[in-house]
Amino acid sequence: MALAFDEFGRPFVIIREQEQKSRLKGLDAQKANIMAAKSVARVLRSSLGPKGMDKMLQSPDGDVTVTNDGATILEQMEVENQIGKLMVQLSRSQDYEIGDGTTGVVVLAGALLEHAEALLDKGIHPIRVAEGYEMASKIAVQQLNKIAQKFEFSKDDVESLVQTCMTTLSSKIVGRCKRKLAEIAVKAVLGVADLERRDVNLDLIKIEGKVGGKLEDVELVHGIIVDKEMSHPQMPKVIENAKIAILTCPFEPPKPKTKHKVDIDSVEKFEGLRLQEKQYFTDMVNQCKDSGATLVICQWGFDDEANHLLMHHDLPAIRWVGGVELELIAIATGGRIVPRFQELTPEKLGKAGIVREKVFGTSKDRMVYIENCANSRAVTILIRGGNKMVVEEAKRSLHDALCVARNLIRDNSIVYGGGSAEIACSLAVEAAADTVAGVEQYAMRAFADGLDSVPMALAENSGYQPIESLTAVKAEQMRDNNPYLGIDCNDTGTNDMRKQGVFETLIGKRQQLMLATQVVKMILKIDDVISPSQYD
Amino acid sequence: MATMLQPQIILLKDGTDTSQGKPQLISNINACVAVADVIRSTLGPRGMDKLVHDEKGNTTISNDGATIMNLLDVIHPAAKTLVDIAKSQDAEVGDGTTSVVLLAGEFLREAKPYIEDGVHPQLIIKSFRTAANLAVRRIGGLAISLEGKDEQEKRRMLVRCAETTLSSKLVGGEKEFFAKMVVEAVLSLGADDSVKMIGIKKVQGGSMTDSFLVHGVAFKKTFSYAGFEQQPKKFENPKILLLNIELELKSEKENAEVRLTDPAQYQSIVDAEWNIIYDKLDKCARSGAKIILSRLPIGDLATQYFADRDIFCAGRVVEEDLQRVARATGAAIQTTVNNLDPEVIGTCQVFEERQVGNERYNVFKGCPGVKTATIVLRGGAEQFIEEADRSLHDAIMIVRKAVKHSSVVPGGGAIDMELSRYLRQHARTIAGKAQLFINSYAKALEVIPRQLCDNAGFDATDVLNKLRQKHALASGEGARYGVDINSGGIIDTYANFIWEPAVVKANAIEAATQAACLVLSVDETIRNPRSQEPDGQPQGGMGRGMMGRGMGGMAGMRGRGRGMRRRM
Repeated sequence: MALAFDEFGRPFVIIREQEQKSRLKGLDAQKANIMAAKSVARVLRSSLGPKGMDKMLQSPDGDVTVTNDGATILEQMEVENQIGKLMVQLSRSQDYEIGDGTTGVVVLAGALLEHAEALLDKGIHPIRVAEGYEMASKIAVQQLNKIAQKFEFSKDDVESLVQTCMTTLSSKIVGRCKRKLAEIAVKAVLGVADLERRDVNLDLIKIEGKVGGKLEDVELVHGIIVDKEMSHPQMPKVIENAKIAILTCPFEPPKPKTKHKVDIDSVEKFEGLRLQEKQYFTDMVNQCKDSGATLVICQWGFDDEANHLLMHHDLPAIRWVGGVELELIAIATGGRIVPRFQELTPEKLGKAGIVREKVFGTSKDRMVYIENCANSRAVTILIRGGNKMVVEEAKRSLHDALCVARNLIRDNSIVYGGGSAEIACSLAVEAAADTVAGVEQYAMRAFADGLDSVPMALAENSGYQPIESLTAVKAEQMRDNNPYLGIDCNDTGTNDMRKQGVFETLIGKRQQLMLATQVVKMILKIDDVISPSQYD
Repeated sequence: MATMLQPQIILLKDGTDTSQGKPQLISNINACVAVADVIRSTLGPRGMDKLVHDEKGNTTISNDGATIMNLLDVIHPAAKTLVDIAKSQDAEVGDGTTSVVLLAGEFLREAKPYIEDGVHPQLIIKSFRTAANLAVRRIGGLAISLEGKDEQEKRRMLVRCAETTLSSKLVGGEKEFFAKMVVEAVLSLGADDSVKMIGIKKVQGGSMTDSFLVHGVAFKKTFSYAGFEQQPKKFENPKILLLNIELELKSEKENAEVRLTDPAQYQSIVDAEWNIIYDKLDKCARSGAKIILSRLPIGDLATQYFADRDIFCAGRVVEEDLQRVARATGAAIQTTVNNLDPEVIGTCQVFEERQVGNERYNVFKGCPGVKTATIVLRGGAEQFIEEADRSLHDAIMIVRKAVKHSSVVPGGGAIDMELSRYLRQHARTIAGKAQLFINSYAKALEVIPRQLCDNAGFDATDVLNKLRQKHALASGEGARYGVDINSGGIIDTYANFIWEPAVVKANAIEAATQAACLVLSVDETIRNPRSQEPDGQPQGGMGRGMMGRGMGGMAGMRGRGRGMRRRM
């Protein structure tokens, strides 16, 4: 901290624990911040694109995660540095809002900062740089809107949606069966989508993972999968036209919530109590039976006596089903959650076409499928895979694909991938820069250079000469006035992304540009970092 | 060593730190100037932000003077006054916190040479007070009142004021967008409503421009139980019931115990409990309300009960939000479900649960008593939204001040230059020392335009000279000229809509003068040693430091009025 001196030239303390605080000021602060942000971006750079590599992260508890998803990598890296944390949040915001493009946004922000650093060295005021960036990002967004195309799809013609999801999945470990996963993602989203309001509640899509089998075994269930089994091994495994009683009360004698004590002072009373308890069980089972239920799903457990009685009365049951799942079941089957046996009525029962228990492989793992529900708004995707890491990564990838499909339903504009959109924007910004007088011109050029680093990273990750491929594509875009040319990552022989079928959503790209610019501005605007220098 | 032999008269507790006299005054001034220097660079549209990182690992990135001062954790007693004026400016007008600290620092800096030369501080104080009074009166004369203009005009003026405030903040790039939003929010309030009626909600994700204003109330979906998703999520013209009771199956009395002698009675107790809760729920449902909100939990049983009857419910609603809903919808918060008259039930045009970013939000729109508004802020990073929140808070305060006292002064340092010129002119009419002091005061006022230039990287001397020339024009036409932040020249800031409410400036000058006078009037500091730290650790550094100083005092010059503080 700034030290003040008295008239004898001795410093004195103004701020608590002054000498233990470190302070970075001015250009040094900016340099240090940019350095931190850049190093975070550098970690992700190699994950970009279809040929991007994965990262293995080990948590303090020894859990291993293998992933390609930018947001997940940064989250698990546990970045300590404050500026680094900003980058983590940047990627998280992209994840929350769009769900995809989390790597790209960080790489872009890193590149923008890198180029800003050079401008700062020239002595340009950081805020002027930030303002130039803002101007440039506006132009870039305009250009995106210009080159975007509407994508027509309908409930029957989903090919275009599938293509876009495939672009997202192609960079993931599950790229091998991207077609299948993309189709599943699109079907699932369409299954729960409200096409008129253009609203998709992703909560209605449940993703379940089970280790075992192979990735290709992934399936979409129009209904719910519960990771539970029938409460008694001898209960029937398949129930057709099931009527389901959804209970939140245990198969137990009811207990008052108020503290209570029962005084038993004679044998008769004890007998009475025992009989009464027994009676409760019989009543409960009968109440279920009377309402016409053929399956009982209960939030709580029930003891062996009840279990036995249920079995005896041919009433299959599932116990310990979590609240969220219970709710999903209720929505899917059109039933009501019943808090008390007395309130069970036939109208409150949920209906499902078929309920079956499925055994996986040789293991004893069982799951209950509830399918063909009365109201099939809820769907479940069951992912299989060789090990836990693959299943988890497949879940994350599928989540990205679901988000992409959802975004397309919200707004069906797309831009082309493979860095083509970035190159087009870069060209537009560069052209616009020449018309701006003042320091901002430099900043805009730097922004254009920053945009170029995304296709450059793509080319680099795909094993090409980054500069050569970028300049070649850029020249071609200029010559043919064709903004759909990008880096040919998969070596298919064409640079035209329309032919390759590489799409990204417009809102995703736009968000990337805007978010990256905002965070860069925030970082550039800091000229003073005051922090405790040591952690005790 | 000779002193050691004489018996010491112990007047104060051992370890007490006393310092007095002129040197003490100088060192106090130095401390204040040092603090003012810290936030110097945040002033103006080209001001930078500070990243402050505290021991607990919280990080704040801010441009707001009061926030930074607060986080600096100043312990120097004199310098603390600066923190206090920043806080009071924040509480009083909400903006101009950086300027006020800067001004106070500058006043002290100007006073320092006189103190060193042996001028009595009281003389300086007196002159400064006079100067401040003159300046404030002059602001009144210079202010351009917008009273009597039509609504449209007034609104435009408010937007301009908000824009000026926002231009120095992180959200400056979108100032038009936010200024309009802030003005709309403030205007939807009544004249005397507290700012609390404007809710600011923060949702991470999205870009700044995705932020939106709700004419009504919006709050995050509360914790919900199973069954919640089965409730309808959209109503038109619903009746709204607000409660402050728990709707849960629970024991009615905490410490009660029921004793049963006959097992047969068991069921009746169970039933009784169920009846109590069902009775409550029935009454709620019978009131005709379609939306039921409670500050206390609404349990799973109630959730499912309401779901069954197509009623929406939300428990654990935050108190503030609930009160805003009450204000907006005209409902009264009930603590019982008995006697639910129609009067206590509110309504609104549309209620909807909406997806915002990653969260779901309950939104009440088209409320009859629109005395509340909610701004939902979006942004890339947590700190980003936090800072946007602070910036908007400043803007809201400014707009509210401007609504009440609708007169503005030109910003961009123009008003400060003009005051400075005016005081200089005035000083020439005074005979005596006061002339010097008022001249210094006038010079100190120039710190605002000077700092604006410095922060933007312009040649401050050059710009200031241009400004002085303009303001000195006899015709008075140059009075509205201030720093042009874009070109590095000067500009008529009034014509370019860089406006500040007059009251902000007046308050800043008064507060800064008072703080400066306060510091000047102190000539002795007595600091008692801290009583033994019971928990030692967090204050450990302090404790040790004090000890060291206490020992230093023992070693020789005790009681001599050292007039300085030893290094810890």
